[in-house]
Amino acid sequence: MSGKTSLLKVILLGDGGVGKSSLMNRYVTNKFDTHLFHTIGVEFLNKDLEVDGHMVTLQIWDTAGQERFRSLRTPFYRGSDCCLLTFSVDDSQSFLNMGNWKKEFIYYADVKEPEKFPFVVLGNKVDVTERQVSAEDARQWCQENGNHPYYETSAKDDTNVAAAFEEAVRRVLATEERTEHLIHTDTVNLQRRPRSTTSCCS
Amino acid sequence: MAADTSHKVLFEQYGVFIHANSGDGCIEQDLLVSGSIRLVDKDGEVLVEYRPLEDSVDPSNMLCAGKDSSSVMEWGQSPEDRPHHGLEAQHSYETEWDMVNAVSFKKKTCSNGEGALNHSHERNRWAFTFSVGDLSSVTVKMDGWSYLFFKLKEASVSLPTLHFHQGGSAEFLDSLRRCALLRESPEDERCLLVSTANRALSQSFENLLEDNNFGLVHKLKKDPYVTTLGGFSKVTNYLFDAFRGAEEQQRRRPPEEVADLLGEVIPGLEINQQEESGFEVITRIDLGVRPEVQRGEPLSTEQWAEHQDTEGRILNVPHLKQVIFKGGLCHMLRKDVWKFLLGYFPWDSTLEERKALQRAKTDEYFRMKLQWKSVSEEQERRNSRLRDCKSLIEKDVNRTDRTNRFYEGIDNPGLVLLHDILMTYCMFDFDLGYVQGMSDLLSPLLFVMENEVEAFWCFVSFMDQMHQNFEEQMQGMKTQLVQLGSLLRLLDQKFWNYLESQDSGFLYFCFRWLLIRFKRELSFHDVLRLWEVMWTGLPCQNLHLLVCCSILDSEKQKIMEENYGFNEILKHVNELSMKLDIEEVLRKAEAICLQIKGCKDLPHSVSDILGFNTDEVTAGDPWSEVTAPRKTSPAPSPSPTDRGQGAFANGHGLLRESSQNGCGVSFVS
Ligand SMILES: Nc1nc2c(ncn2[C@@H]2O[C@H](COP(=O)(O)OP(=O)(O)OP(=O)(O)O)[C@@H](O)[C@H]2O)c(=O)[nH]1
Ligand SMILES: [Mg+2]
Repeated sequence: MSGKTSLLKVILLGDGGVGKSSLMNRYVTNKFDTHLFHTIGVEFLNKDLEVDGHMVTLQIWDTAGQERFRSLRTPFYRGSDCCLLTFSVDDSQSFLNMGNWKKEFIYYADVKEPEKFPFVVLGNKVDVTERQVSAEDARQWCQENGNHPYYETSAKDDTNVAAAFEEAVRRVLATEERTEHLIHTDTVNLQRRPRSTTSCCS
Repeated sequence: MAADTSHKVLFEQYGVFIHANSGDGCIEQDLLVSGSIRLVDKDGEVLVEYRPLEDSVDPSNMLCAGKDSSSVMEWGQSPEDRPHHGLEAQHSYETEWDMVNAVSFKKKTCSNGEGALNHSHERNRWAFTFSVGDLSSVTVKMDGWSYLFFKLKEASVSLPTLHFHQGGSAEFLDSLRRCALLRESPEDERCLLVSTANRALSQSFENLLEDNNFGLVHKLKKDPYVTTLGGFSKVTNYLFDAFRGAEEQQRRRPPEEVADLLGEVIPGLEINQQEESGFEVITRIDLGVRPEVQRGEPLSTEQWAEHQDTEGRILNVPHLKQVIFKGGLCHMLRKDVWKFLLGYFPWDSTLEERKALQRAKTDEYFRMKLQWKSVSEEQERRNSRLRDCKSLIEKDVNRTDRTNRFYEGIDNPGLVLLHDILMTYCMFDFDLGYVQGMSDLLSPLLFVMENEVEAFWCFVSFMDQMHQNFEEQMQGMKTQLVQLGSLLRLLDQKFWNYLESQDSGFLYFCFRWLLIRFKRELSFHDVLRLWEVMWTGLPCQNLHLLVCCSILDSEKQKIMEENYGFNEILKHVNELSMKLDIEEVLRKAEAICLQIKGCKDLPHSVSDILGFNTDEVTAGDPWSEVTAPRKTSPAPSPSPTDRGQGAFANGHGLLRESSQNGCGVSFVS
């Protein structure tokens, strides 16, 4: 096991109301809060985890989905190691907008090789019975748009949430092994302050 | 886009005219030439170009001249319209905020004579190009519109006066200021002397100005080392360079000029000069001690009753506002008094008049409500704007103050009212529609009013103040962040430098605070208190910015001691939510206000933000047309372009004779 903890930055993008904040909160605090406010501005939470023997601190960034706030959220795209494109299976518009989210991300995150950048697609709210987007359609989109992994999640029922975030970590680690960098230069910046939690056994 | 092209349009404005008969008294009478002016960076040299439209137009065509006003790319559009690589990509960050249209220039530029006029072609008789380096002065005059007269160093060349019939002269000068130093001529304040002698120094100002406009991320990419130094130290370095250079070569930049510029660019900075040239001491403005301030008791129902005459007019409003400012309102009074504070009810109206007003406003409300209520499903299917508003509102109503008893549970009537008022507001202001954050602003109003119609009209009044925050370009937000930056810099240079060193000088972490006036940062009842205090307009304008300063003042110690970086600052500030003590925050905000007010050498930029010298503001200010607040917003905040304007309008009053024995440049704090 490597003694190093890498800090990975992932960002949740998708239309307003698809459940980005709920997914983040479910994953980090294991709670689903029906009283949650819609997001204004930008927030992030950290979570430590181990994936395939790698110690990782996942820094999850959550933004406001409304178009108007683009200029606020886009500066935070830089330095992301992975982007979680999120839609809600009961909202076909949020599915149709995914292409735009992806483009916005690639543009503002200044991704050098978009084909190689890890995206993970999340179809949230699978607990809802009135679906507007079928799993096949979603899978097809993922296939056609860069072969992204697809997860059907429910922040409410805690379906596949951890699996989706862990997949994100795997994708990042895989890319990094390929490029023989353990940590992106940008994440080094984020790691500027020494963390107290790097010791192996706690 | 060809990689070798190094033309970059820094500024472009159409609808710029030459009055052929008024300029150099020749040729056809009444000839108006319409064209565009550009500032172009060509291989590092900045050129001013004037190009007439195809042909000269006669006055009858003037109105339509230049209406297709843009070959300039709009950055507000969806990303797919944009090139993914190349020069502009690096600038996207600034341009998004700035609306500075920095695009590569495809049209072929005329490559003749530097600083010379192009008279060669008859058709292009009026076109001219010169290098900013050859410019000696610009004279700005105003006669219904602004017009500029350029004088070149080469005195034999004269250029026609340019008339900015469609505005944009101030913006042009702003852009020019980014490539050259402009200072008022001592003989004629309308005449701006141009110098480009020391690029490094002007560059440093450009950087500082850009900081205000959030260019930092871009800069960081380019040069992380320089950026981590505070903005202030950057200037120090450049100053050293400038003065060293001055000793060696011919001295080109008089110290007053540097002083003027620095003073305006960096509020809180004062430059003391000695008679002997070459020696400057730079000190910080001494703000003096922050006074102790007490908060008061909320206005009581008895006090309120005492302030009304028999017909219900409100008496002695200033005193009333003072009490409310000091202590707020007891909760029972809010329902009544908020209507006055927000301007829905005039203070001097009688009870009868208010009843009549309410009747009329009730009708008006339901008329608008009926408009969206009566849209059939069929119609809605064909009205995407309405559909989008509706879906956004539905989503947000379900996520607004759901723990408050007024909005909790399912099927709470409060939720329906919240929804209906927001929908009706879409009808009231269809251009704005619904933007996230508006439900947060409405919720406390509805909670207090407990009445759909009155909550709606109070919301309309509140939105008049907040409108700019929600507009497409979010101009209100940008302005406020820039203004807040100026205040923080004045109050504590060290903390400001720290924020800058952590790439946080653009104050993103205050976004939510400002967008919805601390609605998410305070407990529900504290929000009510803060808002009513704010609505009194006391003790100065833009109190909410001082509230930001107050909160940050209490946190700065921790932020700096813990050496928080960009992320940690954001996180720390986000986590202050619900932990703030409103009375303490307000106490300090007022104290800061008094402290600033007591400072006699306050930079104009700061007094403008807080409205300390509103009466002094010159009536005939030629820039008022450009900086006037847009639309319905009565928000008195000056726009960010003011910084440029201030830099030459206020180039006085900051200098002070000093007996200090300063040598070289030093900073005294
Ligand atoms: N049934 C169901 N509802 C969910 C699920 N996830 C989120 N929601 C609900 O969907 C709504 C939106 O969730 P948020 O997490 O606020 O959505 P968001 O993507 O963060 O939205 P913005 O902050 O506006 O960009 C809330 O009312 C949640 O309770 C889910 O998995 N199932
Ligand atoms: Mg959210």
